[in-house]
Amino acid sequence: MAIKIGEKFPSANLVTMGAEGPETVDLATRLAGRKVIVFALPGAFTGPCSTIHVPSFIRTAKALAEKGVQEIICIAVNDPFVLKAWGESTGATAAGITMLGDSDGSLTHALKMEFTAPHLGLVGRSNRYALVLDDGVVTHANIDNPGECNISTGEALLAEL
Amino acid sequence: MVKEGDALPDAELIRMTEAGPEQVGVKGLADGRKIVIFGLPGAFTPTCDAAHLPSFIRTKDGFADKGIDEIICVSVNDAHVMRYWGKHSGATEAGITMLADGDASFTKALGLEFSVPAVGFYDRSRRYAMMVDNGVVRVLHLEKPGECGISTGEAMLDAI
Repeated sequence: MAIKIGEKFPSANLVTMGAEGPETVDLATRLAGRKVIVFALPGAFTGPCSTIHVPSFIRTAKALAEKGVQEIICIAVNDPFVLKAWGESTGATAAGITMLGDSDGSLTHALKMEFTAPHLGLVGRSNRYALVLDDGVVTHANIDNPGECNISTGEALLAEL
Repeated sequence: MVKEGDALPDAELIRMTEAGPEQVGVKGLADGRKIVIFGLPGAFTPTCDAAHLPSFIRTKDGFADKGIDEIICVSVNDAHVMRYWGKHSGATEAGITMLADGDASFTKALGLEFSVPAVGFYDRSRRYAMMVDNGVVRVLHLEKPGECGISTGEAMLDAI
């Protein structure tokens, strides 16, 4: 599926770093009955992701919560070790943002959001998007053109809520 | 699977420069030089971060004394992750080259890839260290899964 307003977000098993090590997260369970923002990006420690995209949600996390958003989830095709280090170094984890790894790229593939840039070492990564999901259904979909980080920022989404 | 006496397979790896990611051919790194390559499952993973990489930071000067031209850490991560890990761990400052095998082509050419979906690992590299002289693998220390003993900087330094 491509992402469209009104559609149910696909189910996916993602990976996160728990207290005892990597854990599988059933995304459908996390989305059920809740208002959640999911934003995705090409990769941990890449330029715009570290300096623009993630910080935009750190800045707006509190305001988004006041609008009824119960969780902000960042998804990248990385492993949970890298995402843990990135969440800590950017301050995203401290800001309450959940970092989930689509390590095998299956969710990104199912959403038709994947791209590959071999010269950068990025294989099967995710284009940039931000969604508001209400009980797993897409109510807002801000999908950036490849290489851009404009409409999928925290501020852009906040302005629409 | 690669073994001692084999020619090192060629592949394109990626290093991060001031200008951004840049492809680097393994053949160009190995021809006419004596290098040590060590591979590991992933940046920021506990054993790689706490044991394997630091062992080469500690022994870097010892390798130079034995005529090793370059020590290269290879992992199936992207160049952005490798740049940050190199900086964060002190490896880059110590003079260790951090190269990304983003598509796992080098690791697969060596026959050393493995996957553990439960921890988010796909086509990662088994842990090893090798000394390569003019493109030929002269010493290869391949770890059993989960171990980090014979591929450390200290063990390799003893072996060459």
